[in-house]
Amino acid sequence: MLRNPLPSTLSLALLATVSLPTLVTAQTLTITAAGGDYGQALKEAMWSPAAQELGYDIREESQSDSLAALRMQVMSGTVTTDVIHLGSAEAAQAAALDLLEPLDTSIVDMDSLPEGARNAYCFPFDSYGTVMAWNTETYGENGPKTWAEFWDTKTFPGRRALRANAQDNLEIALLSDGVAPTEVYEVLSSETGLERAIARLEELKPDVAIWWTSGAQSAQILADGEVDLVVTWNGRAAAAKEQGPADYSFKGSIIGTDCLAVPAGAQNVEAAMKLIAGMTTAEREAKLTDYILYGPLNKGAYEPGLIPEDRLPLLATAPQNAGTSVYSDAAWWVENGEAAQIAFDEMINR
Amino acid sequence: MTRIDPAVSATADLRRDLRRETAFFLSLSLPALVLVGLCAMLPILWILRQSFLTLRGTYTLSNWEKLLSSDLTWRAIWSTVELSAGTLVLCCILGLPLALALASAPQKLANRLLVLLMLPLWTSILVRTYGWLVLLRRDGLVNQGLQSIGLTDTPLALVYNFTGTLIGMVHFMLPLFVLPTYAALRDIDHNTIRASASMGASLPRTLVSVVLPLAAGGIRSGSMIVFIYTLGFFITPAILGGGQVNPIAIRIERTLSTFQNWGAASALGILLLLLVALAAALLVGVRHLLSRRGGHHA
Repeated sequence: MLRNPLPSTLSLALLATVSLPTLVTAQTLTITAAGGDYGQALKEAMWSPAAQELGYDIREESQSDSLAALRMQVMSGTVTTDVIHLGSAEAAQAAALDLLEPLDTSIVDMDSLPEGARNAYCFPFDSYGTVMAWNTETYGENGPKTWAEFWDTKTFPGRRALRANAQDNLEIALLSDGVAPTEVYEVLSSETGLERAIARLEELKPDVAIWWTSGAQSAQILADGEVDLVVTWNGRAAAAKEQGPADYSFKGSIIGTDCLAVPAGAQNVEAAMKLIAGMTTAEREAKLTDYILYGPLNKGAYEPGLIPEDRLPLLATAPQNAGTSVYSDAAWWVENGEAAQIAFDEMINR
Repeated sequence: MTRIDPAVSATADLRRDLRRETAFFLSLSLPALVLVGLCAMLPILWILRQSFLTLRGTYTLSNWEKLLSSDLTWRAIWSTVELSAGTLVLCCILGLPLALALASAPQKLANRLLVLLMLPLWTSILVRTYGWLVLLRRDGLVNQGLQSIGLTDTPLALVYNFTGTLIGMVHFMLPLFVLPTYAALRDIDHNTIRASASMGASLPRTLVSVVLPLAAGGIRSGSMIVFIYTLGFFITPAILGGGQVNPIAIRIERTLSTFQNWGAASALGILLLLLVALAAALLVGVRHLLSRRGGHHA
């Protein structure tokens, strides 16, 4: 670890607050998060109230490429960030490169998380789903309800569009082939798992008119009627539903998460862990859904009364969708992503 | 022995002056050389070095091993060449008659038509490409038109595939082919054409034996620009290809965005550069062959 052997005066001050709870010392922490609307939502719903409660002063940095920023800080030995907001795939890459402190489980509450979402380095706090969406002019209200039906080109004839990326598509292919949600990664890790998923995708390929490359494109081609069925992210699907004759379902969605981590060698590790714990309470994660359609990971956020009833169906992690969805396994993807993507690209270009 | 021949000294003076002059003119190109060195050669060398680095920054050959042994690379190269050749062939088929028509039109009219030809060059490529998307998609103007006059029952797949990409590429490249071709055609001495006609050659015969050989330089420049420019093209296949057309430029972007693997992407970039150099060498080689054959005839 690259941790500074000399605790800074700030850490000493923190120790002072721990041992003498009556003494109020302003601790300054730096948080690096997404900018824009998302960053603003994180601030208002989560870190601003948490910092107020803990008595921290927060300095905010916006980063569109957090992983690159993290790498730069840790490699150069000048870690200025205490808490960093990452996608779980980025976080798994960062953990593999020793860029993150392990989470202090005596401070952050692992039990509040669904089992599939737990991670030793990055604490997940919100989620989005990769879902199926369809044109309601083609299928009316009777869209496909399972991935097996999505693959059924006789009952649901029509042009499909999938993302030009192995991620989520392999999981979906296995679900369509009858693999149980809990066994997806077990099957994928088996010797013939990847082959099976790719073969299943190849089966659908003649009906795939477009392999899309941006979320905006996926919503556009659905709204334009260019394709009848799309695999896309729930935020995009919700937008397409508002724009055109489209609907979507969270059944069998693949859930991706965003998470909070502490860079290796950060100056205020303990305080940073406390901030993460404070940001990810049930109330604050529930509050985040007022701003953005990202479902909470803290199970407590779904206790009755915290999230408005009409908002619930729009969230990937809502209880009514539980049991059919799969948490994307970032660690599997870090280890097997390249081989999987190559097999996938070969399938597309065959 | 010490006597100096005035003639010799005068020649030496002349030589020295000539050398000085050459050095002076060469020095004029220094700023440009520095600029090219800093902005083109250095980055290329940096990319070359990068192609031998792992994610953790140690030297390795694995990027190249993986790249050259991968089926995907060869498919990407094939797709790149296919798109470039297709674009070039269509540019020739559409561009030669157009350039001929322009060259034989009265100068005033030709100038106006040239402005029309240049118009797309002054429009943002993104706007034009998305324009094609609107025209060619399933409920786009072209398909609506075809269906309303009863030519087809179902919409044709005109975009999000190779066809759409080719249409977009040809639209972009056509002016770049026509301009040098037109310039060469315009320079032809009309007396040669009259001479050919006076000796009884038919119009097609005159075209093939007189006009096209005389315009060969322009056609070659146009072809070279179109073919080589298309080799590295990204936007058009990315937007109009629908994931079905994946030349090297697209693979580079995928490699970067999916794996953040700068090493592998750099190796692909160098490969593309080599492909461009190879294409240029081939085209220059073809010119030499042709001109030698032309020499024998004369």
